[in-house]
Amino acid sequence: MAMIEVEDLHKNYGLVEALRGVSFKVDRGEVLGFLGPNGAGKTTCMKIITGFLAATKGTVRVDGMDVHEHGLEAKTRIGYLPENAPLYHEMRVIDYLAYAAEIRGIKKSRRSAKMNEVAASCNLKDVAGKQIGTLSKGFRQRVGLAQALIHDPEVLILDEPTAGLDPNQIVEIRELVRRLGRQRTIILSTHNLPEVLQTCDRMVIIHQGKLVADGTPSELEQSAAEDPPIVVKLKTDEDRAVVTKRLRGLSGVAKVEDRGVVDDLLTFSLNTGTTDDLRPMIAKEITAAGWTLYELKRDALDLEAIFRRLTQQI
Amino acid sequence: MRSTWVIAKREFRSFFDSPIAYVAITVFLIITGVLFFLADDFFAANEATLRPLFEWVPLIFVFYMPAISMRLLSEERRSGTFELLITMPIREHEVILGKYLAALGFLVVTLLLTLPYPIIVAAVGTPDWGPMIGGYFGLFLVGAVYLGVGLMTSAWTHNQIISFVLALLINGFFYFIDKLIGVVWAGTRDVFAYLSFDQHFQTISRGVIDTRNLVFYVSLSAASVLIASYSLRRRLWKG
Repeated sequence: MAMIEVEDLHKNYGLVEALRGVSFKVDRGEVLGFLGPNGAGKTTCMKIITGFLAATKGTVRVDGMDVHEHGLEAKTRIGYLPENAPLYHEMRVIDYLAYAAEIRGIKKSRRSAKMNEVAASCNLKDVAGKQIGTLSKGFRQRVGLAQALIHDPEVLILDEPTAGLDPNQIVEIRELVRRLGRQRTIILSTHNLPEVLQTCDRMVIIHQGKLVADGTPSELEQSAAEDPPIVVKLKTDEDRAVVTKRLRGLSGVAKVEDRGVVDDLLTFSLNTGTTDDLRPMIAKEITAAGWTLYELKRDALDLEAIFRRLTQQI
Repeated sequence: MRSTWVIAKREFRSFFDSPIAYVAITVFLIITGVLFFLADDFFAANEATLRPLFEWVPLIFVFYMPAISMRLLSEERRSGTFELLITMPIREHEVILGKYLAALGFLVVTLLLTLPYPIIVAAVGTPDWGPMIGGYFGLFLVGAVYLGVGLMTSAWTHNQIISFVLALLINGFFYFIDKLIGVVWAGTRDVFAYLSFDQHFQTISRGVIDTRNLVFYVSLSAASVLIASYSLRRRLWKG
């Protein structure tokens, strides 16, 4: 059963459409990677899920509850770490966690046990007495995570938890997220692809406020592998339009994209409608036309390339 | 209400983590000290009263209170902690009331720090306690209104300076409204006198506690707190 249901979400900031109809579901216990270039609408979407902003149109349900209509109930089920972990810098870690526990309504008798638990799981024991403002960014992220966990929420929303951290800190946070993901439903936004592969069960990609992909990493790779584009580089005196037209005339070629002149070579990208390898046929045609072939390759797209293809400005 | 109290406690403590509070209190005590001992020739006048002090403090509060209130919400919105706070299971008015309580607590601390003045007065003479107690009560009410205004402007912007200036302008306008405009248009004098933040205080500080004055201050405080609360809900507009 879906723990988080996002349905046809729209959000306008004045004339700017930040979200233009985003829908997806996250199952109970699933870790979802939320990807997209900067400004794609990731943060806006997360702000709506956590009840900080209201959607212009569309609904979000957490554990079956509309976050707009039943905000307070939905909020008790969510732990949230906003971008850059905004915390009260003048407070000590231990005081801050006590404050978070109290405001979350954790009973006094259970408070210190709960604080110890999250401090242990986020490795904060050594810095408990320090002021948050004096901590490194990695530690601040962990304090942010600890406050998000203090009420043992079923859902965790993490907005770029590894942004701005050094490689060691990134590994630590990823491991922590993976460990937390065993019992919880997590949405984690990032623009780092390896992170998704290492920590997430499934990913959605949004671009310019719209969902452009939804699936497990291997599903996405597979769907891209079904129709890998063929890149052709050649030399000729003929006009590019003529070359484009002739290539398009080949049987099996669905689309020809003129990529311009790269290093003195005319470059084209061909999409085929079939799974057959058309390269021998294309090579013959080019030779027959009297053009000089420099390169002919079929790219099996990796995730990086899929991401770029899906999120290129069109 | 539980959340209100949690927020009030945290906020009250954080006042004393910020240098602004200490600077403001120090400046306040220096100015009132100068007024008390020097300005009206306290010792020469041979009168056991805090009257000169009570005349000036509402004007000092016009500046002092915005300096205290400016960071209440602006700072949280600037640093992003507001987002974390409001995504906890908490209502906007609980946040506002918590902050307001903390600010009122700070006002009480400020007033307590001026207690040496009445003690000196009592030591050197026989003061009339009615106006004295009335004066302190009135200062609390005036301060509470200024803080309400400051909380409201702090909810409007993530910039502390803008919050400070707006609160200063509003407080200043209502402080001077009877003194300037009221004088120009003699016909409207009573109206402006009624609207003045200061006029009601002058009545109370004579030791006369009238329901009308109480209603004036309490309803103004309530209105600004209510507006502040609604301002926080503006983020939920569907636009």
